[in-house]
Amino acid sequence: MQLKEIPVTGIPYDQIKIEKVPAAPEYCERPAELIPSANRAVVINPNRTCMPLGAMWAVLGVRKAIPFVQGAQGCTTYVRYTFCRIFKEPAVIATASFHEDAAVFGGRRNLVEGIRNLVVRYWPELVGVVTTCSSEIIGDDMVSFIKMARANLRKEIGPEKADQIPIVLVNTPSFAGSHVEGYDRASRAFVETLATTKGEPNGKVNIIPGLFYPGDIREIKHLLRHMGVEAIVLFDISDTLDAPLEPPTSVPYYPPGGTAVGEIRDMANSLATFALQPHAGQAGARYLERKYGVRAVVGPPPVGVQGTDAFLKALREITGKPIPESLLQERGRLVDSLADTLHHTMMKKVAVMGDPDIVLGVTRFVLEMGMEPVALAGGTASKTFVHDVEAILAEAGYEGEPPLIINGGDLFEFEEYLKKQPRLDLIIGNSRAVDISRELQVPLVRVGFPIYDRFGYQKRPIVGYRGGEMLLAEIVNSMLDYQYPDDRTQQL
Amino acid sequence: MGGPISDVIQLVHAPAGCAWYTWGTRRHLSDFYPWATPTRLTNVAFNRRYCMCTDMQEKDVVFGGMKKLEQACLEAIRLFPEAKGLIIFTTCTTGLIGDDVQAIARQVEKKTGKLIFTSESPGCSGVSQSRGHHDFNTQFYRQIRQLRERRPELKMSEEEKTPYDICLIGEYNMDWDLKIVRPLFEKIGVRIAAVFSGNERIENLVKMPDVKLNVVHCQRSAEYIAHMIKDGFNIPFIRVSLFGINQTAEALRKTAAFFGLEERAEKVIAGEMKRVEKSLAFYREKLKGKRVAIYVGGPRVWHWIKLMEELGMTVVAVACTFAHEDDYEKINARAPEGMLVIDNPNEFEIEEMLKIEKPDLFLTGLKEKYIARKMGIPTVNSHSYEKGPYAGFAGMVNFARDIYQALYAPVWKYQWGIDGAPAKDEEEGSCS
Repeated sequence: MQLKEIPVTGIPYDQIKIEKVPAAPEYCERPAELIPSANRAVVINPNRTCMPLGAMWAVLGVRKAIPFVQGAQGCTTYVRYTFCRIFKEPAVIATASFHEDAAVFGGRRNLVEGIRNLVVRYWPELVGVVTTCSSEIIGDDMVSFIKMARANLRKEIGPEKADQIPIVLVNTPSFAGSHVEGYDRASRAFVETLATTKGEPNGKVNIIPGLFYPGDIREIKHLLRHMGVEAIVLFDISDTLDAPLEPPTSVPYYPPGGTAVGEIRDMANSLATFALQPHAGQAGARYLERKYGVRAVVGPPPVGVQGTDAFLKALREITGKPIPESLLQERGRLVDSLADTLHHTMMKKVAVMGDPDIVLGVTRFVLEMGMEPVALAGGTASKTFVHDVEAILAEAGYEGEPPLIINGGDLFEFEEYLKKQPRLDLIIGNSRAVDISRELQVPLVRVGFPIYDRFGYQKRPIVGYRGGEMLLAEIVNSMLDYQYPDDRTQQL
Repeated sequence: MGGPISDVIQLVHAPAGCAWYTWGTRRHLSDFYPWATPTRLTNVAFNRRYCMCTDMQEKDVVFGGMKKLEQACLEAIRLFPEAKGLIIFTTCTTGLIGDDVQAIARQVEKKTGKLIFTSESPGCSGVSQSRGHHDFNTQFYRQIRQLRERRPELKMSEEEKTPYDICLIGEYNMDWDLKIVRPLFEKIGVRIAAVFSGNERIENLVKMPDVKLNVVHCQRSAEYIAHMIKDGFNIPFIRVSLFGINQTAEALRKTAAFFGLEERAEKVIAGEMKRVEKSLAFYREKLKGKRVAIYVGGPRVWHWIKLMEELGMTVVAVACTFAHEDDYEKINARAPEGMLVIDNPNEFEIEEMLKIEKPDLFLTGLKEKYIARKMGIPTVNSHSYEKGPYAGFAGMVNFARDIYQALYAPVWKYQWGIDGAPAKDEEEGSCS
């Protein structure tokens, strides 16, 4: 800080530039046998987070619903923190706040009193109870605890009011799966708990979007509107986690929107359930199919031409409604864009990382662009991922070098593999790939969960034809920004 | 507490999620960079570049995770030989199943010769992160003490010692605060031999008991270790605040007085004041009379009440996540008349506080700033800062600038909708 005077604008960034101190005199080659994650016990840079996060994400998509986390405060704080970083929105989540006594005697008192406090202060329309590692290890009998909580509520606020507030339990021990599975489990828990009566057919379709962002859900709704199809979107975060700034009204704050409890009850009467992300939502769709004969349409993610085609064709088949000219024009515009950019996408080497459904959807799309996948890393291990990737490559008639497929593994394996590749043009993935892209000096196109280091991605769709156009533009422009000489871009 | 230590592997013994949330989250920055490729250093420093864990699975929970932990530690050390040590952190899962991580640490130390530490503080064992601070202090102190007995060569050598050695305790190098703070102390003639724990090398932390004076900044999270060093090694400590003009000056004076360097301190203070006075005068003019609410962990509340006053603002309400009795004593001593104080509020109470007090500005962390913004109240991120550093004299200009930017952004004019702000009485009505 050699400045004589600190200007009104503060300390300029070049004045706090840090001299990097090398940790070793030279590059340390990492032992080759420890690069594949299957060969080691230590996980380095996990490509997934904990199961309760997925369940909390789901609950925040229900109208005036509050997640209640049966665990220590950190399990809530860190997830709120993550949501705030991604969505730039408040996220109200309650905690049982386990201390030593809960660890010793169990969390019954925490749940019963916690739910009571939550209800009388917030009057939510639904409480989603989300368990954690600690409550699952202690062995809390959540079903009977919730019964006690309900009985306690009936005593305090009267049965009528108390019974209006459903309490949905989602069991999410994090040592048994990732955030993707947490969302999947929530999809099943909600329809199992609420969609219990088979009534009149409602002529609607159910959409379980999975861990797509508000912008994606808005785009799905746009497609549905143009198809003339009414839908129940379970867990609709499009407004709850992207709310307008409006004059302050009342306390406590509830964001607008979300799926109403009545709509979830009605899901048993729908024509079909679309689980747009097979790994996050399939369980709910399958349950409705088994129990109520509501047809389950599982995937593919509606990303790119074929992904969106498949979604619209399935909608057409199930509802009998034609695909309107307006959407065919959107499709035509996406195809036109692919034609306009092919000289900048063909044969480009790309790596994709993130949640498995994002990787599957994006991989299919980049193959439509004529790109060549080098490495595909799905963070949550899945029985179907490798097979699905192979099917997508076969469908595209891909004849290049087979990509490394990481099913579950970690990002250390992904990055060390990429560092050994002779060429890489682009990484598509979430904010956890920033360091990798910087060190390899290739552009990063941000998609999927989580994106916290840039603004606006949660509002911008990647699904549908229009989302595809935006994603394509981002991909092409990133590569042009990064590596293409400016004296050649006058005629792309 | 351990995260800012720059040259150790931070290994979280837990399911992947627990580690994932700490990865690249808080801005405790560092300058220790491993090589990413043969020609390029990593994009961010080691302590925030890699996130390591044992990724406990169901079978590990059932059968215990000790074997997996030992294997993970050995692999991590093989993969990152540039790391000087390793800290094992336990969480709810591994705390509840009762893995003996200290035994593993000793074995790994024997096998590798690296400095291996443990930090056992499962979330469900205490009320808040404050318990974690305390646990880390006591466990770390105990371990460096044992280490110094086991390996006396790790103590500071007589040649290295100077009569002006201090340790700066409770400073975590948020957004490179140290880049401002360190030169201040150096200019008055003392040597910061170790910082607990911002951007510090583990070997320097082992030498903490070899200094002449401990200077404690965050007196909530780290005063414990200063007490223990005082009891165990007879090294005195002083409490300081490095936020704001008067408090930073006071900190330098107190430190200088201990070493008889008062004259140099006055010179440094005068020089620093000169560098910032013009900019701060601008901000004082713009910020005077504004009403502020503060909600942070604990100490920053009382660090900042005085700082806000220096900028001509009034603190009307404060709340703390994990303050203890002594924090509240300090808050009360600094509180202006009529200031509201809330201990560990929930979101509902925060909203009520904002609605009743209607502050012009809310200094708070990431999780609460969005609710305030929805209510039309400007905020400044008070944990990791907006665009720090905020400490010391020069940092104060950054802080004032971010406050000014929050308050004077044109956006707040548009919050009332397409027809503009309602008449005053209407507005009152809509809030009741």
